[in-house]
Amino acid sequence: MTVHTPIESRSGGVPRWAILLTLFVFAVGGVYLAANLAGENPPLGIPGASAAPPAASGEPDPAVGEALIGQVQPQCTTCHGPDLTGSGAFPSLHGVAGGPVSENLQDLGAEYPDNWAQLWIAGAPETEGIDRMGMPAYGDQLSPEQIESIVAYLKTLQ
Amino acid sequence: MTLKPNPNPKKMRPYDVAPKPRRTLIPGGVDSAATGFFVAAAVWLAIAVGIGLLAIGIRIIPFEFSFGLGVFDLSFELNVRRVDAAFVNATVYGWLTNAGFAAIAFMTPRLLGRRLAGERLMNVAMVIWNLSLAGGIAGLYVFDLGPHAALTAMLWLFDGGLATGALVVTGSFLATAGAAIRSGYVSTWFAGIALLALLGLVGLNATLGLLELFVDLPELTVALASVFVERAIITLWLLGMAYATLHYVVPRATGQPLASNGLAMLAWVTWLALAPVSALATLQDPSVPYVFTTLGAVATMLLLVPAALAVVNLVQSIQGRWSLLFGQGTLAFAAVSLAFLLATALLEGIGALRLVDARVGGTDWERGVFLWATYGTFTLAAFALAEHALPRILRRAWGGGMLSSAQLWLTFGGATITGLALMGGGLAEGSLRAAGTTGEALDAALVVYRVAGFAGFVLVALGGVALLVSIFVMYTAGEPAEYVVSGQAAPATGH
Repeated sequence: MTVHTPIESRSGGVPRWAILLTLFVFAVGGVYLAANLAGENPPLGIPGASAAPPAASGEPDPAVGEALIGQVQPQCTTCHGPDLTGSGAFPSLHGVAGGPVSENLQDLGAEYPDNWAQLWIAGAPETEGIDRMGMPAYGDQLSPEQIESIVAYLKTLQ
Repeated sequence: MTLKPNPNPKKMRPYDVAPKPRRTLIPGGVDSAATGFFVAAAVWLAIAVGIGLLAIGIRIIPFEFSFGLGVFDLSFELNVRRVDAAFVNATVYGWLTNAGFAAIAFMTPRLLGRRLAGERLMNVAMVIWNLSLAGGIAGLYVFDLGPHAALTAMLWLFDGGLATGALVVTGSFLATAGAAIRSGYVSTWFAGIALLALLGLVGLNATLGLLELFVDLPELTVALASVFVERAIITLWLLGMAYATLHYVVPRATGQPLASNGLAMLAWVTWLALAPVSALATLQDPSVPYVFTTLGAVATMLLLVPAALAVVNLVQSIQGRWSLLFGQGTLAFAAVSLAFLLATALLEGIGALRLVDARVGGTDWERGVFLWATYGTFTLAAFALAEHALPRILRRAWGGGMLSSAQLWLTFGGATITGLALMGGGLAEGSLRAAGTTGEALDAALVVYRVAGFAGFVLVALGGVALLVSIFVMYTAGEPAEYVVSGQAAPATGH
C-alpha cells in the first residue's frame, strides 16, 4: 500500500517580483511581435521532396527559375526579401537585366556581360577574389540549367 | 490440524504445503508498471545512443547502402535521413517517453495517496507501446518516409499502437487522479497536461496517417502538420514531464518543502500558455500567415519565463542543503538538469530570432540544441527520478556510489561536449555558406566539429550503459530495504 505524503510548500502566493518580471518579459515579447507582423515566411523545406524541378531542355524557363527560388532555394528570399527587393545589407535583385546592381560586381559585369549572373550564383572560379558579402555559392547544389532558369527569372524583375 | 513449527519435509503431504501464489502472465502488483517502464526506458536509452553514434558517424564518413528484402519489392535502406529519424524516435518515444510513463506510474500514487488504477493495464500499455515503437523504428529503414518529420515518420499502424498505449496510460492516470487532482501538487498538473498533450498529438498523427491511406492529402499539409506535431511533443510532453519530475524530486531529495507553490503554479500557467503556441514557429511556409509564425517564435523566446521561474523556485527549495549538490545522488542530477533547462530555453529563444534562424536553420546548430534538451535537460531529470525511485520500487538499499557518479559525469560531460560541438559546427556552417563554401569543402570544414560531437556522444552512451548496469546491480546485489516515511510506523513503499 502506498502512503499519502503531501508535499508542503513554504508559501502559497506568487511573489510580486515574479509577476512583474513575467509581465515585463511578456511585454518585451509583445514589442518583438509588433515589430515583426509583416513579412512572408520562406517555403517549408519538405523532407524527401522531389529534387529541384529541372529546366526544360533548350531555352531557360523563367517559371522554373521562380519555382526554384520559391521551393528549393528559400535562402534567396530569406536574405533578399520576400519579393527580392532587398533587405538590410542584401541588395535588391530587381533590375539585374541591365547588369549588376551591386558595387562589388561591376567589374565582373563588365568582363562577362552575358553570363556574369550565372558565374556569380554558381561561385565560378571567375568570381574568386570578389567579396561575396555573405552570398553563398550554389554551383554544387544547382545544375547549370537551373541557374540559367533562375537568371532568366531574375531578368524579368523590373 | 496444526502444523509443527519445523515439519520434516519428507513426511509432509501435498495439502500441508501452502499453495504457491500464482504468477500471472501480466504483472499487476504495486509499482510493477513503474518498474517495467523504467527498465524499458533504460534499454531504449542504450539503443538510442547507439543509433545516435551512427547518426553522427554517417556525417563524418558519409555512406549509404540498401538491399532488397525479397518481399513486395521492399528494401532496407540506410542513409542520413533514415538514421536521423530512427535516432529521434528512439530518444523521444523510446527512452524519454518510457521514462515519462515510469515517472507518472511512480509519482501519481504517491502524490495523491491512492493506488494506481489499472496497473495491469499499464503493463499491457507498456508492451503495446514498445512493440509498436520497435516495429515503427524498424519500418523507418524500409518504408517511404514521405514529407514527414522524424517523430511522425512511422507507418500509421505503429502510430496507432503508440496512440493506444498513450490512451491506456492517460486513462490510468485520470482514473487515479480523479477528483483529487484539484488539490494535487504542481507535478500532477504538469504531468496531467503533458500526458493529455501526448495522447492528443500521437492520436492526431495516427489519424493523419490513416487518412493518408484513403485521401490524397497535399504534401505541404502533411509536412506542416508533421513539423507542428513534432515540436509540440517536445514542448508539451517532454518539457512538461521534465518540470513535473524536477518539482517532485527536488523537495524530496532535500527533505525540504517547495519554496513557493505560487511560483510553481505561475511557471505551470506560463508554460501551458506558451508551449502549444511555440510550435507555430515551425510552420514556416508562405501559405501560413507571417504573424502566426512570429507569434510562435515569440512564444519560444518566452518559454524562458517558466524555465527561469522553475529554476529560481527549486534553487530556493535547496537553500540550506547546498552540500547535497556536490554529492552523488538525486539532487546532483536535478541540479545539472536545471542548468541545462535554463541554457536550452535561452538557446532556443536566440535560435527563434528570425535573423539567427536564417543563418543557422537546418544546420548542426539545431541538432546541438536538440541534444542539449534531450540528453541534458530531459535525460538528467529522468536520471534524477530513477535515482530516487528505483531503490524504492525495487526495495533495495541503494544510492549514490560509483555508478551514479559515472552516470552523472559521463552524461553531463558528453551532452555538453556534443551540444557545444554541434552548435559550433552549425555556426561555422552558417558562416561558411554565407561565404560561398559548399559541398565537399563545407563538409571538410565541419568534420572537426562532428568528430568532437561523436567523442562527446560516446560519453553519453557510456552514461546510458552505467544506468543499465546500475539497475542490474541494484536488483541483484542490493541489500533488501523498506523505505519508511517519517512519522509512519508501518513499512511502506517509500515516498
